[in-house]
Amino acid sequence: MARDFITPKGDEGIYHIDTASWRTYKPVMNKDICIECGICLTYCPVNSIHKQNDQYIIDLSFCKGCGICANECPKKAIDMVLEGEK
Amino acid sequence: MGKTIAITGNTAAALGAALSRPKVIAAYPITPQSSVVEYAASMIADGKLQSSMVQVESEHSAMSVVQGAAMAGARTFTATSAQGLALMYEPYFRMSTLRLPMVMAVAGREMTAPETIWSGHQDTISVRDAGWIQIYVENNQETLDMIIQGYKLAEHKDILIPVNVCYDGFYISHLYEGVNIPEQSEVDAFLPPYKQEHVILDPEKPMAVDPMTPGNLVMKYRKSHLDAMQRAFDVLDKIDQEFGDKFGRYYGGTVEKYKCDDADIVLVAMGAMSGTAKAAVDEKRAQGVKAGLLKIRMMRPFPNRQVAEVLADKKAYAVIDKNVVFGWPNGAVYMETKAALNQLGYRVASLPVVGGLGGADISLDHMINVIEKLEKMNKGDKEQECYWLED
Amino acid sequence: MNYIELLDKQPDLVTPGTSACQGCPAELSLRSTLKVLGENTIMCIPPGCMAGAGCVGWNFDSGLKVPVHITLLDNTAAVLTGIKKSYEADGRDVTVASFAGDGATSDCGFQSLSAAAERGENVIYICYDNEGYMNTGFQRSGSTTKGSMTTTTPVGEVGKGKEQQKKDLPLIMAMHNPAYLATLSPSHMSDFVKKVEKAKSIKDGFVYLHIFSPCPTGWGFDGAKSIEVARKAVETNLFPLYEIDHGEYKFTVQNKNPKPVSELFGMMKKFRHVSEQGIQEVQNYVDKKYKILQSLVG
Repeated sequence: MARDFITPKGDEGIYHIDTASWRTYKPVMNKDICIECGICLTYCPVNSIHKQNDQYIIDLSFCKGCGICANECPKKAIDMVLEGEK
Repeated sequence: MGKTIAITGNTAAALGAALSRPKVIAAYPITPQSSVVEYAASMIADGKLQSSMVQVESEHSAMSVVQGAAMAGARTFTATSAQGLALMYEPYFRMSTLRLPMVMAVAGREMTAPETIWSGHQDTISVRDAGWIQIYVENNQETLDMIIQGYKLAEHKDILIPVNVCYDGFYISHLYEGVNIPEQSEVDAFLPPYKQEHVILDPEKPMAVDPMTPGNLVMKYRKSHLDAMQRAFDVLDKIDQEFGDKFGRYYGGTVEKYKCDDADIVLVAMGAMSGTAKAAVDEKRAQGVKAGLLKIRMMRPFPNRQVAEVLADKKAYAVIDKNVVFGWPNGAVYMETKAALNQLGYRVASLPVVGGLGGADISLDHMINVIEKLEKMNKGDKEQECYWLED
Repeated sequence: MNYIELLDKQPDLVTPGTSACQGCPAELSLRSTLKVLGENTIMCIPPGCMAGAGCVGWNFDSGLKVPVHITLLDNTAAVLTGIKKSYEADGRDVTVASFAGDGATSDCGFQSLSAAAERGENVIYICYDNEGYMNTGFQRSGSTTKGSMTTTTPVGEVGKGKEQQKKDLPLIMAMHNPAYLATLSPSHMSDFVKKVEKAKSIKDGFVYLHIFSPCPTGWGFDGAKSIEVARKAVETNLFPLYEIDHGEYKFTVQNKNPKPVSELFGMMKKFRHVSEQGIQEVQNYVDKKYKILQSLVG
């Protein structure tokens, strides 16, 4: 599409950066402890937690590894694990 | 063909705006513009104007409200003066650089200090490089007509730049003159409803208006803006022709040439003082002096070719500025006129003149004195000292 | 649908990858707000953290999936007004909202905000309050809590941090008689969602929402603790949660046994120099403000 350069506007796509690359620690859910309460989803600033088939799962595509989910989990079912480790 | 009534310049401005059917008006009162806001409000109160009017708390918000409305696609109007224009500077620059077309009437006033509320061009001249088209008018009729023409110019798809219609505070804003008010149907035929296509804030077509933009693209936007500015000369000339054909009033587009063709010496003036200059030209012509007047109507963009064409073969010209340029010992229109001639390779003897600041009178005697100074000059004369039109 | 289902099911209208800091609760608040407001929304974001984080966009791309404009720092409420007026004239119902920082709201943008509220414009002005100009390195704002170290109220031999108490924007806005006003905290998300839903439903006047938004980077705490800090601000009454629905004041989260503000002060670096007396001064201010609120709730 040839641009007209009249008014500056963002109409081609959605701007985003690779925030997953920021992560030092990644959240890992322990499903043996998880009670599927959804608190982690509620507080994730990056919208990385979703419900699939009645289970909350973490999508790491944009997760910045902030650790809010682990900190807020009432059952301490999420561990922050150093990237590269299991 | 409408009816002719005696009204002030402010009423003419409000009527010109009303005839253009703006969807949103936002304005804040300031001397000498206040009655524009009052008159628009009274037309709405009487059910004669269907615009949505926002009584804002400042000129900064006046321009911001109309910018918001313009981004949603509305035709908008506001009016201000002097300190109000200065307060508005931030969204004023934004409006033009977002290329949102609108018309703002400015009742020209001196900038304070010294504390003053009276006439001058210093307000609009000080913001002449903020991306707006600026047109200066001579009387009440031209004020009304240029607001209507201003929308046509601003909204032209090759332009998309907001327009200031600058009319002198008090000399135009407060004095009564006979003004022909065109029929609404005639104006509607001349100025169809505006449909904005180049940018919009609409949930049905989501986009970001003004995302963060790096320098290489800023360059492209600026060049595009300057290119559109240069197209405004021809577009205004065509609009002037079309308006004249329809309403019987031609203004000359970018400049008005009054008895310039055979003139040896030419006054260059802008705004309300042009009437006095024309009277001086007539008086000197009666004495056998070949004088003429070049009235600059469009100050931004500056019609360099149109100005140079008139002045190139003259013996001498004087520019009467109702403003000053801090940093040069004279006014802005003189600097621009001189630059235009030089840019096109002409050198003509010239006299810078400053007068009318803070409402000071520019009398017929003043104008005649200027012509008589020019009579004594020769084509090869070097830079003259600025002549101040004092008591 | 409960609020967790709503937050899960409603489309996220913010770019997935913003450059907001790790654990930034403003990013959470913006996403949650837009999930509730929905696609028929026009958003204005003045310069600040969210604009800086790419939520308006870059080059030819947008940072939101709804129309968004970066207003000037000081004219957000006026621009909202203009957009809304244009749609009202067309007879189209569009939600017009802002997401502005406390600097743009309580300092230079206050004039236009106050006027838009006084006129009763039917727009939703949302302020996320991180108590300073965080996007540019934590300069002091009128909304900064007393004692706070900022880059313009540094602590030194003489300097003791910000010398003045926090400007109480929600109460100031309450005196403008908005159709709806609420304080929100991302720590109380059920309450948060309800209030944004209420805001969206208001068609007869001005809406002001004030969100408390602790800043891990500026205030000096671990981003994992953002929600914990926000919760503590509510529990200490430094940021009480209430709403005013057409003049009816109501605490939406009861706080029977408020904790001392010292608990909040101890959680972050920006207060670590503050003396016991300094903490007591803030405690007294918080207590006094809360009494005013109680008397308004009646």
